[in-house]
Amino acid sequence: MIEALVLTGFLGSGKTTLLGHLLRQPAFSRTAVIINEFGEIGLDHDLVEVSEESIIELQTGCLCCKIRNDLATTLHEMLRRRDEGSITPFTRVVIETSGLADPAPILQTLMTDLTIAGRIVLAGVVTTVDAVNGADTLDREEISVKQTAVADRLVLTKTDLAGPTQPSFIERLRALNATASVLAVQWGQIDPASLFDGRLYDPFTRSLDVQSWLSTKAVSHAHAGQRHAVNTYAIMRTDPIRAVALTLFLETLSEHCGADLLRLKGIVNILESPDRPAVIHGVQHVFHPPSWLARWPSDDRRSRMVFITRGIPRGWVEALLDALDAEVAAVSANRS
Amino acid sequence: MSALSEHLRELMAQSLHAWRLTGSVRGTGDGAVLVCCQEHNIRIEPAPSDSPFRWIVVFDNRSRAAISLVAVLRMVRAALDPGYTAMRARIAPFPLVPT
Repeated sequence: MIEALVLTGFLGSGKTTLLGHLLRQPAFSRTAVIINEFGEIGLDHDLVEVSEESIIELQTGCLCCKIRNDLATTLHEMLRRRDEGSITPFTRVVIETSGLADPAPILQTLMTDLTIAGRIVLAGVVTTVDAVNGADTLDREEISVKQTAVADRLVLTKTDLAGPTQPSFIERLRALNATASVLAVQWGQIDPASLFDGRLYDPFTRSLDVQSWLSTKAVSHAHAGQRHAVNTYAIMRTDPIRAVALTLFLETLSEHCGADLLRLKGIVNILESPDRPAVIHGVQHVFHPPSWLARWPSDDRRSRMVFITRGIPRGWVEALLDALDAEVAAVSANRS
Repeated sequence: MSALSEHLRELMAQSLHAWRLTGSVRGTGDGAVLVCCQEHNIRIEPAPSDSPFRWIVVFDNRSRAAISLVAVLRMVRAALDPGYTAMRARIAPFPLVPT
């Protein structure tokens, strides 16, 4: 399975600098890169010094909206050329979005497109945040809030220019995304392992490693007072959840919440599968087919789901899950 | 009020909040749930036991049958939130148990 890392962040937040540094590291020697530039003249690919054959630039528009199909087509073509042996057999793909891109549709493409499904797996989302201008950008640009909210890793850039990072800014980032770790860098220099340590992608389960997500202490944050409120919370259930109830739950979330459900990840104790928990992962209205762990990763067998949403009340999510599970239980009882 | 009706009452109350609608939700003595919002009264009651449906939703003097709480939720929202357009679900086929 080839891992795909999505590198996003607002304009000028240091994505290309970070990417340039990463690609000079031996660990990234077999990495293919897709750079999406928004504008008439692309520069980023010239700023990243690696072998030309492994860089593809998508320049016709913003990756998230105009040329989303191009991403799937490009990935498919890269896989074909890899299989033919006409390009280096890359083991990782980095997709650098334009600074104006909404990362959610890109994640959905990676999760659902049949031409690449089964060969490329989303390994994580890294979002660069400018320590100098980041706070102002969050105030002004909704897309910056979203880029921050969906990240698995937040990389705080330009810390050499900003001086000591204000604790209030870190707190604000954590309020937007309590599950992502925050890494501070200067001049884009970062240990590549820090972006992958914690195993965002678990090769054994072939899914995002929810343990790293769920390790955050009882996440519950609301970014109140902002124009585009993002709230994060975890829902836990001790009793197993019926598989049909979980399906209905995900479908109803998709139907009623759509774009406001920025990300959902969870490990679920399914009544019909007590020894093999299901791992669920959704971005907006698209849910990845659940994967099944071979066993519980710890003695904790509670279902745990982490939500990053734009204004979806926790109480509604909890009431929905409880009601659906109760109804499915009642139907099952009537039939038996 | 049955346990399931209590879940329904709580779900409707939370739904009004989630949809940013002002109103009230209460249980009735006969096991139904009454949603009062925007000058509308919606009554949700368990369907007769011999019916293939599970719920009856009464709104504007019309009774509609619902096969599940998911359908009830969809009907109530459509009634109270005319601007709402359901997102077309795109959920990959869900293996209910490990294969």
